[in-house]
Amino acid sequence: MYNILQRLGGITSFAMSTLMALIVVISLTTPLLPSNPTHEVTLHSVQTTTGRMVDPFDRTSRSAEYARLTFDVDADLSSMFNWNTKLLFAFITADFVSPGFDTNRVVIWDRIIRSKRQAKLRLRKHHNKYLLRNYAMSFRGVEAANLTLHINPVPYLGIMYDKSMVSIPFSIPRPEKASK
Amino acid sequence: MDFLRPVFESGRIDFKGQSLASSLATMLLVCSGIAAFGVGYSMERLSLCFYTYVLGIAVTYMVVLLPWPFFRRNPMVWLARSSNGSKSTLVDSPNQSRKTLVEDVSDDSDDAH
Repeated sequence: MYNILQRLGGITSFAMSTLMALIVVISLTTPLLPSNPTHEVTLHSVQTTTGRMVDPFDRTSRSAEYARLTFDVDADLSSMFNWNTKLLFAFITADFVSPGFDTNRVVIWDRIIRSKRQAKLRLRKHHNKYLLRNYAMSFRGVEAANLTLHINPVPYLGIMYDKSMVSIPFSIPRPEKASK
Repeated sequence: MDFLRPVFESGRIDFKGQSLASSLATMLLVCSGIAAFGVGYSMERLSLCFYTYVLGIAVTYMVVLLPWPFFRRNPMVWLARSSNGSKSTLVDSPNQSRKTLVEDVSDDSDDAH
């Protein structure tokens, strides 16, 4: 602290340490902020069809069974926006148990919510955005299927974590032609 | 960069002033960090938090970096230089340790004899 150069170095290094402490405090206190989101997922129907995986008009490409879900989503996530939220990533997964595989998780729908204005979700008779098929090409022996809405708040500073909100069980039927 | 040396090495302050500058810098930076958290949280804007903190750093630079008069209130008082010539003291002194002490000083007082 004797001359200007020493004071410059001292102040700047302590300022950077304090900045780091400020960032750590912000990122540690962000998950403790209160939020009360409301959420509800209703499943209307599950239809299953067979289709060719690569090219529907190519008879040599393998066929697989695809499920088509119809669901409603009602959610108000605006209270999850605090001063350290960049965006919310909302997604619905279908989890099920198939022969030989205990955990299968397929993302069937997602949405990036960037502001409080977009945070009120109201979807009616919505279909899955991404294809739902089993790894073994058919839904034979598939059981304990669950539809789960996850919210992943993305902060400006700090850690990301998944919040699974609501989970509803359902069953995936076989297509009519295959079950005969 | 030698031409910058007089700029950097200027602004010397006394010992009491150095201690005051050190504690003042610590206090100002910690307070501006706390104020930045408060402002950002109450305004719900993370960018406002960091702008407040940058403002705090600028204020700290203004207060502590420059050699303000309140840092130079207790100037160091040096002992008065010994009036008799160094060469004669060196010869006459019966005490060995005192002799070396005077010998050290003798470099910058060539005009004494």
